[in-house]
Amino acid sequence: MAVYKLSVNGVERSVDAVSDMPVLWVLRDMLGLTGSKYGCGVGSCGACAILVDGEEVLSCQMSVKDVGKKRITTVEGLSKNGTHPVQKAWLQHDVPQCGYCQSGQIIAAAALLKKHPRPTDAQIESALSSHICRCGTYQRIREAIHTAAGLAVGGK
Amino acid sequence: MGSMTNVSRRSIFKIVGGIGAGLALGCVPLRAAERSDKKGVVFAPNEYITVGPDGIVTVTITRSDMGQGIRTTIAMIVAEELDADWNHVRVTQAGAGSKRVNGGGTGGSSSTPGLYNNLRKIAAGSRQMLVEAAAKQWGVDPSTCHTAAGKVFNASGKAISYGELTAAASLMTPPADAKPKPRSEFKIIGKSKSRVDNLDVVTGRAIYGQDVHVDGMVFAVVSRRPAIGATLKSFDATATKKVSGVIDAIQIASGVAVIATNTYAATQGRDALKVEWDNGPNAELDSKQVSSKMRAALGEHTEMPAGAKVVEASYEFPFLAHATLEPMNAVADVKDGSCTVWTGSQAPTGAQQQVARQLGIEASNVTINVPLLGGGFGRRFMHDWVSEVVEISKAVKKPVKLLYTRDDDLRTDFYRPAGIRSFKGAISSSGEIVGWSGLAADSAGGRGGKGRVGKPAIPYDIPSATNQQAGAGIAVPTGAWRSVENSTNNPAYECFVDELAHAAGKDPVAFRQALISDPRLKHVLATVAEKAGWGKALPAGHGMGVAVFKGYGSYAAHVAEVSVKGDAIKVVRVVCAVDPGIAVNPRGVEAQIQGAIIDGVATALKVSITLEKGLAAETSYFDYNWARIGDAPKTEVHIVESGDNSPGGMGEVGYPSVIPAIANAIAAVTGKRARKFPIKVSELV
Repeated sequence: MAVYKLSVNGVERSVDAVSDMPVLWVLRDMLGLTGSKYGCGVGSCGACAILVDGEEVLSCQMSVKDVGKKRITTVEGLSKNGTHPVQKAWLQHDVPQCGYCQSGQIIAAAALLKKHPRPTDAQIESALSSHICRCGTYQRIREAIHTAAGLAVGGK
Repeated sequence: MGSMTNVSRRSIFKIVGGIGAGLALGCVPLRAAERSDKKGVVFAPNEYITVGPDGIVTVTITRSDMGQGIRTTIAMIVAEELDADWNHVRVTQAGAGSKRVNGGGTGGSSSTPGLYNNLRKIAAGSRQMLVEAAAKQWGVDPSTCHTAAGKVFNASGKAISYGELTAAASLMTPPADAKPKPRSEFKIIGKSKSRVDNLDVVTGRAIYGQDVHVDGMVFAVVSRRPAIGATLKSFDATATKKVSGVIDAIQIASGVAVIATNTYAATQGRDALKVEWDNGPNAELDSKQVSSKMRAALGEHTEMPAGAKVVEASYEFPFLAHATLEPMNAVADVKDGSCTVWTGSQAPTGAQQQVARQLGIEASNVTINVPLLGGGFGRRFMHDWVSEVVEISKAVKKPVKLLYTRDDDLRTDFYRPAGIRSFKGAISSSGEIVGWSGLAADSAGGRGGKGRVGKPAIPYDIPSATNQQAGAGIAVPTGAWRSVENSTNNPAYECFVDELAHAAGKDPVAFRQALISDPRLKHVLATVAEKAGWGKALPAGHGMGVAVFKGYGSYAAHVAEVSVKGDAIKVVRVVCAVDPGIAVNPRGVEAQIQGAIIDGVATALKVSITLEKGLAAETSYFDYNWARIGDAPKTEVHIVESGDNSPGGMGEVGYPSVIPAIANAIAAVTGKRARKFPIKVSELV
């Protein structure tokens, strides 16, 4: 066990955890941030995705000891009240069904738009290929990402 | 840090009580209950509706939401007949407690059709009480008043908001037989609404079972059988107990539970556990044996008429896991003589009774709280995980959060049964079906016993048809999976009818139309053919296939366009025409159909549960590789309302015709037929 100081959603948090504990369980069990979901624990579904220094990381695959000074952003930290362009687009297109995968999909979309502000369908499919939506919302995800791209460009 | 609580989160779980367990939803009485609080009187005319002095209408949701959007649908139906202002409508979720009940279960596409008329009547009665209260204040005849968007208006244009009427309305007598609106006056039903939970979902605030926090809770995972039917011989937890954060390891009915201060410690502790099992009678069971046992159980086809052209085909379907993205989980707090459970359940009253039996206490002392469900598809009826968490909480005398890790979830499922459908059909010289013999055999283990699957429900008028069914008695637990028996039967029927059409030298759409008398089914088939451009020229390597389904009070027809290049099959586009009677929330209908198409793509081409040495070989989404965004075709959903005055079910109806539309499209490209699902080009015949 060791104490780790983590930057989570712009706030410094300290946790007493074993060094190999995946960030997912630090967030969920120790910090009470349950927006990042457990779906498989082996990196096969994407439900646990977070941003680490703006890049998408599957939090079940990153140990707390490897975070260091990097900034963690979870879905709770994307915006104050659902106002991030991706969240707005998700609302506009009514993307969620059960909703369990959507924080991961939203994080992946936010990371994608940073790299490719106007992504093609192929870029979307590649960037979100590690994510499962068991309800099958993929068509609305694609549409919402295109909308978010417009919002991000036009709205900032 | 570890015991951090979240007040706003817990307030979401303010327990909604329940109506008496024996009270069917069809006869919930209107009653003028009122209660005062600091802010004023809340108008609570019945179990479903409250109107606060602030004008907020709160609708109690008596079904579980697993992504089908029932919380929104129910709220819309109530808001319509109450003439509520949609912006002032909130929902609260019923579980199973001592008063209000989420009863009857959420499944079989029964929620909307089952609740629709009763909810409308109840809401209309509540609206009438508000009107009478306003009329009394004005000293006018209630029949001269009308309502809109949360207000009562009189003939001279004066208005009073519902919030101002809560005290007076509570004194009114509930009408014996309130009349719902005619359909022509609908303002909310039939107009797409966003889901009531969307903002919570996109901000990460939505609470699923897995997110429930109870102060003082510990975390558990279970080391499980290495083969179906294996029994535990002994275990050694020496190494487990050395893992940082592990509290204990205890034997329970299903294995060894490892209890820890956090989930990770519990999983690490489980990895360190040494368990010896007697692998039992299924230790060598594999998918090949399942297949041959089912084939042996099929029986004999009836004779085909002499001189006719005889077509034979069989279709084999695998076990399917539900693989809800939120795996099975629950929090339970067993106390002396009572128990509270938080879990995503499709049948909270069933869970309540199960827990009461398990603990030997009255059901009224068991509360099941239902958060959002991260998918259901039939899996969350079984409550095996509830038994476990209750057993563990009772033993450790603490609230316990139990998680099925993904491998647990895939290997402890009640699968869609495996099955074989075998057909013999005869075509006359003029291209008519003059013989049809169907044989069905299912794995039929567990709760999906013989006779449950395989009921003939051909959507066609084929007078000569006979269908028989059998079970192979295989000890693999099975249960309901989206569309239940229709998930295997309809794909088989629709593939075989397509083969008969081909043998008759007829167009698959025209051949089907000639076999259909039901006008609603004819209509969806004609619509989908037109919208898809049936018969139009397609790029090389592309083909179209069609299939239909009727059931759950609704109708669907799909056309799939696929491309086949070498071994690669790609579903390019799927068009669906669906007749739900009334589409209460058209956007919700569209979402259900789009999702069912993805289920069809995944199960036609990608996933199966394979047994090796008595256990599912699949342990994650790497090998139970569900459809991903790159597999998702372009979809088009055309809602046709053919005049029926009640809504049909929507959860299941979109699935059973997707697989055959894809298989028939593959046949259109390759000239070869699928005999086994998921389809591989190398296995086409």
